[in-house]
Parts: sequence; structure tokens; C-alpha cells
Amino acid sequence: MILLRALVALAILWTTNAHADINLLKENKCDQCHRVSISDDEKNEAPDLFYAGEKFQESWLREFLTNPNNIRPNGYSGRNDFPKAIEPKAHPALNAKVADAVANVLLTLKLQPAGKSIEFGEPLTRGKKVRAKILFERNFSCSACHKGINLARKPHGGVSGPSLFNAGNRLQQQWIFDWLKSPEKYRKKGRMPRFQLDDETAIKLVKYIMTLKKENMK
Amino acid sequence: MTKTWQKIFGLSFLLLFTNTACTSDTEESALNEPPPIVAEPPAAEPYVPAPEEAKPVQVTQKTRDTYQWYCSQCHGVEGKGDGMNALHLAVPPRNHTKADYLGTRTNQHLFDAIKLGGLAVGRAPCMPAWGNTLADEEITGLVNYIRELCQCEGA
Ligand code: HEC
Ligand code: HEC
Repeated sequence: MILLRALVALAILWTTNAHADINLLKENKCDQCHRVSISDDEKNEAPDLFYAGEKFQESWLREFLTNPNNIRPNGYSGRNDFPKAIEPKAHPALNAKVADAVANVLLTLKLQPAGKSIEFGEPLTRGKKVRAKILFERNFSCSACHKGINLARKPHGGVSGPSLFNAGNRLQQQWIFDWLKSPEKYRKKGRMPRFQLDDETAIKLVKYIMTLKKENMK
Repeated sequence: MTKTWQKIFGLSFLLLFTNTACTSDTEESALNEPPPIVAEPPAAEPYVPAPEEAKPVQVTQKTRDTYQWYCSQCHGVEGKGDGMNALHLAVPPRNHTKADYLGTRTNQHLFDAIKLGGLAVGRAPCMPAWGNTLADEEITGLVNYIRELCQCEGA
């Protein structure tokens, strides 16, 4: 009985906390541009944050909030006037203390229910990486719209999709997998083609994307 | 340029580009693998050309919006091959307002290129397969729209 009461109390605490959490994002005006909850009206000016806890790597997120860098050189592709390139404005930066609290909140935001959990195993060996690069640059045309890293170790590729040349530090591999398998879980309609990838191919692509890190560039 | 030279030139272009990656420099050794199946082959639902007397084919607003939403990323808002990705690709996106090349292609070829991607029809691997994103009717609409843009008919 005591246990049950403790559980109930904990549950109440947790739900109220969750609300306080979203409020912190609102206090900092994140919701002016971003959707911070799945029930928010669709926003087209900036990428959604209501699943930030499964999308971003923690260290990248903390760094971005204090010291933001550009990811989408022509602005967010959800914009209705998107094919028209814009000069994106610098992202608002937070001071270290606020950034810390905001990151703590963002890291709790996840979609329910979670997708099936994948065992990714070891990072790609050199030989496998070469093959996976071909999937990325040739078979599936990913680099037509995304910047990766070329053999000269420079960022290279299209600019309509978010840059991926630092995705290995930025994104979680399970999220990339879920995105490739079912993008509609995250947003009704994007501009990226859908690929009916089997798990094995999707895992190869994910593991290739995870090798893309800015420290591997010249 | 003579016809033969044009042919040789065109052919070597084709060979050059169909064997490389979309944007850079994938190592040769691993290139000789067959491409994985990206979308189902179109055999089940072949392209049905509009009947002769129905010309000019009406292009719906929905088709124009579909072109703007997806295709303009590479082919540009006016279809001139100057979308925002164009400068970053090894093979420039097709200019859909030019009849010289498009007039030599059948509607079926354009349909297949959109549905299955460039690689599957022996063209540049930069062109992704849209067969899992767009329904066959939508792709047919896009073929008709490209015909309107190039002011040319299928071969
Ligand atoms: C004026 C509009 C605006 C406001 C206010 C704003 N953002 Fe952003 N945010 C953007 C845009 C636009 C991008 C895309 C930037 C890019 O791709 O380079 C972005 C990107 C991000 C990203 C990376 C998302 C991704 O998928 O790449 C995070 C994380 C983020 N913002 C968090 C926040 C937080 C937290 C706040 C509130 C403290 C906030 N933003 C306030 C417009 C805004
Ligand atoms: C025609 C352009 C295009 C192609 C081809 C394409 N993408 Fe995308 N991709 C986009 C756009 C645009 C987005 C932003 C979301 C949207 O609009 O769908 C995106 C989003 C993504 C994201 C999420 C990035 C983020 O930070 O939010 C990943 C990961 C991704 N793509 C990987 C791939 C992979 C892997 C391939 C090849 C199998 C690929 N893309 C092919 C245009 C493209």
C-alpha cells in the first residue's frame, strides 16, 4: 500500500514536472519558432523539438545551445517558400546556466511509443565504410541533398537537406534509423524522398552517417 | 559537330557519369556491385500515355505544387535545372525547359527516371527514386508537366 502511494506520488510529481519543463522552453521563447510539444500547431520556420531527446547527442546539444552553428545553409526546408534560399539568421544563444537547464528539458522529449530498438554493433571497418559510402552517394542519391565528407575530407554535397558532415557527433543512431524507416512519425510531409529500406541497408547507412564527424575533415 | 562525334561525346559522358557517385569520388574497386533495388519495377502499372486527341494535357495545380515541393530542390522553381543543390552536384540537374534532350526521350523513360531514379535508367545517380514517395498518377502528372515546360513531345 505504501509502495503504491509512493508510486502515485512519484507519477504526479513526474507529470507536473514535465509541464514545468515545457514551460521553461516557453519562457525562453523557443516555441516562437519551434514546436516543443507534439500537440503544438504545425510550425514551418524551424525544425521540431518535441522529440529532441531521441534525436540529438547530449554533448552536441549542450554545445549548440551556448554556441550555435548553422546546419541548414538555406534555412529550414519546412518553410513554404523553401526552394527560395534565404540567408539564415544566427540562432539565439543561451548563457551556460540557462542552456544547461534547457538541455535537461530537451533531453526528456521523446516520442511514445519508441520504435523497435536496433543493435548497431561495432563502427564500420574501412572496407565496409567504402561500400556504405557508395550507398550514400550513389545508390540512394543521399548526397544530392545532404553534405557529407568526400575523399579529400572536405564537406561535399547538396544543401536542401540538413548538413550531415558532423552528424556522427550530432545525431543518435537509433533516431537516424527510425527517421529513415518512418519519417512520417516525426512530420506529416517532408521534402526528402521515402526509401523502402530493409533493416540491413538502413543500418549500413546509419553507421556510415555516424562516421561523418568534423574532426575527420581537413 | 557531326552527328557521329555528338554520339561518341554523349556516350563517353554517359559512361563517365553513370559509373561515378553523385557528388564525389567513391573508390573504384567497390563500384562494380549491382545496385540494390530501390523501388519496385514499374512493370505492374506501366505508363499510360494520354490519348492523342486529349492534347494539350491539362496539368493540375496539384502537379505544379508537387514539382515545387520536391523537384525544385534540384531542378529549380522554373525547371531550369538551377535549384539550390545544382551547383553542388557532379552532374547538373536536367533543365526541363530545354527540348533538345527531352525531345529525344519517351514519356516512359521520364516516368521510369522519376519512379526508379537516375541510376536505374542509366543516368546520373544524383536523381533519387521517387517511387516510394509519389503515386504512379502523380508521376504521370509530372511527366506531363515536364512536357509543358520543354514545349516538346515524347520521342
Ligand atoms: C527566431 C526563431 C528561433 C527561436 C526563438 C529559437 N530557435 Fe532554435 N532554431 C531555429 C532555426 C531556424 C533552426 C535551424 C537552424 C539550422 O538548421 O542551422 C533552429 C535549430 C535549433 C536546434 C537544432 C535542431 C535541429 O534539428 O537541427 C535546436 C536544438 C534548437 N534550435 C533549440 C532551440 C531552443 C532550445 C530555443 C529556445 C531557447 C530555440 N531553439 C529558439 C529558430 C529558432
Ligand atoms: C531530394 C533531397 C533529399 C534526398 C535525396 C535525401 N534527403 Fe535526407 N533530407 C532531405 C530534407 C529536405 C530533409 C529535412 C526533412 C524533410 O524535409 O524531409 C532531410 C532530412 C534527413 C535527415 C534528418 C537530418 C536532421 O538533422 O534533421 C537525415 C538523417 C537524412 N535526411 C538522411 C538521408 C539519407 C541517408 C538519404 C539517402 C538514403 C537522404 N537523406 C536522401 C532531403 C533529401
